[in-house]
Order: sequence, then structure tokens, then C-alpha cells
Amino acid sequence: MSSSDGARSESAGNGETVVEALGITKSFDDVVALDHVDLDLTRGEVHALLGENGAGKTTISNVLAGIYRPDSGIIRLDGEERHFRSPAAAVEAGIGMVHQHFRLIQPMTVAENIHLGWRDTPRLITRRMLEERTAGVMDEVGLRVNAAAEIWQLSVGEQQRVEITRTLARGARILILDEPTAVLTAQEARELFGVMRSLVAGGRTVVFISHKLNEVLEVSDRITVLRGGRKVVTRPTLGATPRELARLMTGEEREVVRDARSAPGDRPLLQIEGVTARGARGFMALRFVSITVNAGEIVGVAGVSGNGQTELAEVVAGLRRVELGRVVVDGADLTRSSSRRIADAGVGHIPEDRLGVGLVRTAQVRDNAVLRNYWSPENSGRITLRRGRIAEFARKLVDAARVQTPSIHSPAGYLSGGNQQRLIAGREALVAKRVFIANQPTRGLDVRSTEDVRGSLLEKRAAGCAVLLISDDLDEILQLSDRIVVMYEGRVLGEFQRGEADREQIGLLMGGHAGEAASEGR
Amino acid sequence: MSTIETPRRIHLERRLHIGPRRSALVRVAGLLVALGVALLALAVTGRDVPALGVEVWDFLSIGDSIGDSFGLQSTGNLATPILMDAIAVAIGLRMRLWNIGVEGQFYMGALAATGIGIHLDLADPLLLVLMALAGAAGGALWILVPAIARAYWNVNEIISTLLLNFVAIAVVNWLSIGPWRDAAAEVVQATPQVNARLPLVPGSLILHIGFFLPLILAAVCFVVFRSTRWGFEVDMVGGNPRAAAFAGINVPRRILTVMLISGAIAGISGMVHLTGVTFRLQGTISNSYGFSGFIVAALAGASFVALVAGGLFIALLLSSGIALQGAGLSVYIVLAIYGVVLIGIAVGEMASRYRLVTGRGETRSPGKRAPP
Repeated sequence: MSSSDGARSESAGNGETVVEALGITKSFDDVVALDHVDLDLTRGEVHALLGENGAGKTTISNVLAGIYRPDSGIIRLDGEERHFRSPAAAVEAGIGMVHQHFRLIQPMTVAENIHLGWRDTPRLITRRMLEERTAGVMDEVGLRVNAAAEIWQLSVGEQQRVEITRTLARGARILILDEPTAVLTAQEARELFGVMRSLVAGGRTVVFISHKLNEVLEVSDRITVLRGGRKVVTRPTLGATPRELARLMTGEEREVVRDARSAPGDRPLLQIEGVTARGARGFMALRFVSITVNAGEIVGVAGVSGNGQTELAEVVAGLRRVELGRVVVDGADLTRSSSRRIADAGVGHIPEDRLGVGLVRTAQVRDNAVLRNYWSPENSGRITLRRGRIAEFARKLVDAARVQTPSIHSPAGYLSGGNQQRLIAGREALVAKRVFIANQPTRGLDVRSTEDVRGSLLEKRAAGCAVLLISDDLDEILQLSDRIVVMYEGRVLGEFQRGEADREQIGLLMGGHAGEAASEGR
Repeated sequence: MSTIETPRRIHLERRLHIGPRRSALVRVAGLLVALGVALLALAVTGRDVPALGVEVWDFLSIGDSIGDSFGLQSTGNLATPILMDAIAVAIGLRMRLWNIGVEGQFYMGALAATGIGIHLDLADPLLLVLMALAGAAGGALWILVPAIARAYWNVNEIISTLLLNFVAIAVVNWLSIGPWRDAAAEVVQATPQVNARLPLVPGSLILHIGFFLPLILAAVCFVVFRSTRWGFEVDMVGGNPRAAAFAGINVPRRILTVMLISGAIAGISGMVHLTGVTFRLQGTISNSYGFSGFIVAALAGASFVALVAGGLFIALLLSSGIALQGAGLSVYIVLAIYGVVLIGIAVGEMASRYRLVTGRGETRSPGKRAPP
């Protein structure tokens, strides 16, 4: 294969295949994460792996980097079949990966982090020597960070450079970057692209994982699109259009399931009006977001995760401070109310990190069942809990949500994952008398639990609740929603009615291509 | 690709759930093994083990009247501060907070109570109440800074509470041999006697009524954590602070309150020991009761029933040690026996979390599992 023209032709792949993966299959329990995926990487190319969450991008990278061993399939490196038993073995062979979450030791210096666990680190070291060696390595790979600085003092972009340098210093010829731009500002991303181009110009290969279309189009030479654990296509970047890639990424439009559903009501139960709020890192995660959800309506929030959806859910649930704007539930302004008052007002919330935030694993199932209403007059006096009532409530919830547990007194951590999920979803559905916020409610669930959760969302809709469904899974959004809004970088970029929703347009908006999206966008 | 066979082997597997009975049994077993080891070591080194046993028995046994049971009474007096301090630690442990500063809070409680007790001369009951309040305030004040730092800035409480112990001991030393020193008495290194004493248990020679305080307190704690909203909230914060915040619980405020209560109990413990046993403030007022209490709470795993049993047992062990020293064993050997027994219980505690498994090393979780 030889590149013909275009700005990148000189550095683009020279045809020499360095890595060839054939028929890679990997399952976790019953979930097939990779299904006979083929991938070839050539010397001197930036190869983009494009796909939605859960498409298998990270899994195939982890297989190449020796973190996972494939169930079947072979990997050839320079034409020779290799089986990596550990990440160290892959690094030894020249494949290095920079993870989305950095593996740096915050209180140690750049030089120390680079030398930690590196075979070439001299046995006797001084601080000065490490710093000089680090500066040398950085010159070699063309990256610059103060070698004496401690990691916590660095910006995220600089930390990423340290990670890249560390990987390259260990002799990586093939560098895998897992969603490297997710944590970067636009300026830092641009600088990273420069680094990537200079690395491939020097004969290395860069695998660039992303779901942002414009980035992939800007920096890559070839693109492999994955969907649902299968490879869709590998094609040169030259000539690709965002529209086409969006379609490949999200799949052909399926027949919309025309379930017999009543028309949604017109009484607004949840009104989010011009809400602006900061994210955990302090920057504005929500910018003037306005969404209204009527009684008996499901509004789906589509978007690539990390574009403000979680902050939106937290703002409504009273877990995050609203800087500007209002949150109104059934006519009552609850903008700065406590989460407890909001729960009492009938707002249920399945949080994104369900098990981390929604459950006390060491506590009994019974205690977890009443976590969101133990203070109610039915369950508690001013001081003492009504233990009998609480046990009764817990038993009812366990039955209704079909939580399988030896007893309501078992610790919640003792339940299987699916049952923990059902416990949380069931509890929040009971809290949600007016508004139900479900943030990634089926992520990581098996088929049956997924159906249960989706069923409960439709039940809440039928019961006249306003349901706000946040999901990475576009199919889920399309299947369940009466209306769909698309979020990108903290803003609502577009809104579609059920049936008018166009998968391709949604895909474009999710990738930030507002200009090319159709006129429905408001 | 061929399936790789994992060889059969025996290995340890973590238990997900440990029942209270198993947990108690394993600890007692660890204790018995350790005692056996200690006795064996004594026998091997040529001690007359049965004679030592008789010595301990004589010391602890009740004679003709309750008044004769000097050994048991002193055990009760010894158990009081250990149990109080253990309760102070255990309340923190409900929230996964490690108050290692109970020793220091004990000292500051005793100091504050002494300040009232040597300067005011009131009717006994009134003065005792004032001294108890002062003791609680002293202990709480001593943990205030670590508590605020932990609650609002997430500063590790282990280090901050631990270090304040040394400061507290130094302050007490300075006051008791400096400004507050008893100039009249021959005792050089202590303050004058305080003006109020806890009454003795009727019929006893030395056992003061303060002995019942930790028993009552443990029962109160048991009820609080079993059936009050506050106790429930503290347990939820201890189990998962993020989930507690999700449920609308003010986590920093709970942390602050729990730590202050813990400090106050340790402070009252110091006041009780002062007014029941020593009557004077001195640099050696605590014989490491705080640390013994800490060990009891840690081994009891924050269960108040196990805590009372454990505290009484440790006191019994320590006062048996006094009898053994009377029988000519050196204090180091006594301490070594004490250490071996504690290690035995700790090992038992660890062992109860695992079970032996033979087979392929698939991880199983007990109990019913959901269908996929």
C-alpha cells in the first residue's frame, strides 16, 4: 500500500506491516468484547481506532499491549507470531500503551517516574543523573517537560507527555494512545497531534483511539471503525467524510420499533432552565442547558460521555451546585435544595457510578433499600428508626425488583452484580414519583437485566413520570425516547422528536459537527 | 488454541461474609493457642506452671466476703479506663476513623477535671458532675483540630491524633510537677488530691462505681447504632461516604461529631480514673490505658458486645500479670505473654476472613446468585 497524495503522504505508512492481528476474540464472562477482529498496522502511520463506547477499541489495544490475552486469534509482530504473557513482554517487543488514566506517581518527579521500573535505570543513581538522563530522552523523542518537577505540579497535557516519554524511552516502536484527547484542552490536543505526526515521521507507528470524528480526520492516515466488538472497515483517511464515518460508527439505521405507546403528556414535570454548572475539575461542565421533560415522556440525552451529561444528572438530583439557571420540578423551584428535599419531591436518580455511589456494600440489603427514604415518617421517628417498617419496606422492594438475596440482612456486597443493580434501580424507581433520572442505567448489564431496567423506565413513563435517560448507547436512546437531545461540551447541540431522529445527524452532533447537522438542531 | 489447565492446588480464598459466631470462635481459638504457646514456653524454661496458675487463681478468687476479692476489684478498676477508651475508639471505627489519640484525650480529660477538682470546693455530687463535664470538654478539645482537619480537608486523622498524645503527656507532666504541684505533700511529682472522689461500690474496698459507666455506655452505643437515625447515618458514612452523601447525609458534619464524641468519652475516662483511683494528676496517670483500649476496639471489630468481653478479658490478663510478678516472674516475661496473646487473637481475626480451598482456583461467591 502506498499513499498517493495529500499533505501527509511523505510520512504516511510506507507499506511495511509491523503488526498484524488476525481473528482476535475476547470474552468477559458471557459478554463478547471482540469478535474475530483483524487489524494491521504499518510503519510510520497514525492509525485511528474509531467507535462508540463499548465498541472494543480499548479491548483490542489491551490485547496488543499484552494486558489481556485473547481467547483466540494470533498476533504477528514483524511477521513473527507472538504471545505476550504480560504488558512487560509487549513493551520488550516494542508495543507500548498510554492509558486514559495516567499511571504516574504524583509526589515523585518526572525523572523518577520515567526511571521507575525501567531496565536501563542505572543501579546507583543520583537525582541529578536521573534528571540529565530524562532530559536526554526527552530531546530524543522531541518532548519537553521539566524533569525535576513533581507530577502533581504539571498540567494534564504535560503529564501525558511524561507518560508518552516513559513509554517511548522503553523502546516502543508502536505507541497506543487510549483516548488521549479526552482530558486535553483544544490547544493541548493540537500540540499532541504535532507530537504524533513527528513520531510517525521518525518511523514509529501510533494507534490513536478516539470517538471524535474531526480529530480522527485531522490526524490519522488510516481509520479502523469498530462497532459492537466487530471490525466494520479499515480505510484510508483520505476521502473519508464525517457523515460516512458517523454512519459506520453507529450502524445502519434500524427499523424503529413502533411500540404502541400513548402520546406523552404536555404538563412539564421537570424544567431545566439555562443551567450552568462547574464540573469536578472546576471548569464549566454545563453551559446554559435548557431541557423540559413532560409527564409521561422519556427524553433521551445522547452524547459521548464526558460532555456534561453526568453533571446534568447531578444538578437535577441536588448533588452539584447550580451556578446560573433554575431547576423546577412540578412547578416547585428546587434549584439549590438539598438532595434529600429533592428526593422527597419525588426525584429518583440512578447515578452513573451506581455501585460506587448508590450502594453501601458493607451494609445490609435492608439498610440499602431505605438509603433514600429512611428519614420518612413511615420509616423513622425523630430519633429512632422504625425497624419493623423498614424491614417490611425492604422485603417489598426486594420482591418487586426481583433482587435475589438469601435475606434482607445479607450485606449488599454479598449479592451478585446484577442483583446489586436491581436493588438500586428498584429503590430509585420508588423514589421517583415525579421525575426519574437514569444515567447509563444499563451500562455493563447483561441482556436480561438490561431488559428489566428498560422495562422499568417504560413503566415509569406509563405511570406519568418525567424520565430523563442519559446513555452512551444510541440504540437505547432511539428505542426508548420520545424526544432526544444531543449534548456536546456542556451544551445542547440539537433536539429531535421520536421518529424524526436521524442516526447520522445525531452521530455528527455527538462528534461536535453542529454545522453539518440538519436544521432540527435548536 | 488449547485450553490451559490450571493445576489443582490448595489456596486461601477470602470470605465475603463472616458470621458473628464464626468470628468470635476463631478469636477465642487464637487466644487459646497463644496461651498454650506461652505456657509451653514457661514450662520449657523451667517454670513451675501449675504453681503459677495457683498464684493467679488465689489472686483473683473471691474469699469469704466480697471485700476479700481484692484481685477482682483491682481488675474492675483496671477494666474501667480500658473499656472507656475502647468505646471511644470503637465509635470512631464505626465510621472507619482511627482515633489513636485516646491516650492523649484521656490525659487532657484528667487534666481538665483536676483543674476543677483542686480549685473548687463544692459538694461531692456537684463537683463530680462539673469535673465530668470538664473532662469531656478537655478530651473533645484535644481532638478538635484533627477532627476539623479530617472533616473538611481530609487530613489523615491517624497521624494527627497520634502525635497529639505526646503533647498531652508533656503538658500534664509540666503542670503536675510545675504550677499545680502539691507543695505540702511528700509526693513530689503530682498535684494535690482533688476535692471529690467517686463512691465505692457498696461492700468493696477499692472498686469504684465508675466501673459501671463503660458497661452502661456500651449498652447505649449498642442501641444507638441499632435503632437510631443518627447511628444509621454514621454506619452509612463508614460504609461508603459517597453513598452517604448521595443519600443527603452531611458527611463532614458526621465526621466532626463522631470524633468529638470519641474524644469526649476518652476525656471522661481520664476523669473517672482520676476520681476513682489516683485522686491526683501525675505524669503517669495512664498506664497506657488508651493503647490497651485501642487494641481491644480493633480486635473487637467495633462490636460493642465483643468489646466489653474483650476489655474485661484484657484487664484480667493484665492483673494476672501483677500476680505473676508477685510470684517472681519478671515484668518482661509478663509483657511477652500479654503480647503473644494479643497476636494470637489478631491472627485468629485475620484467619477468620479466609478459608482453605482446594481446586482450580475459580472464585466462587457463596449464596444464591442471580441468573445471568
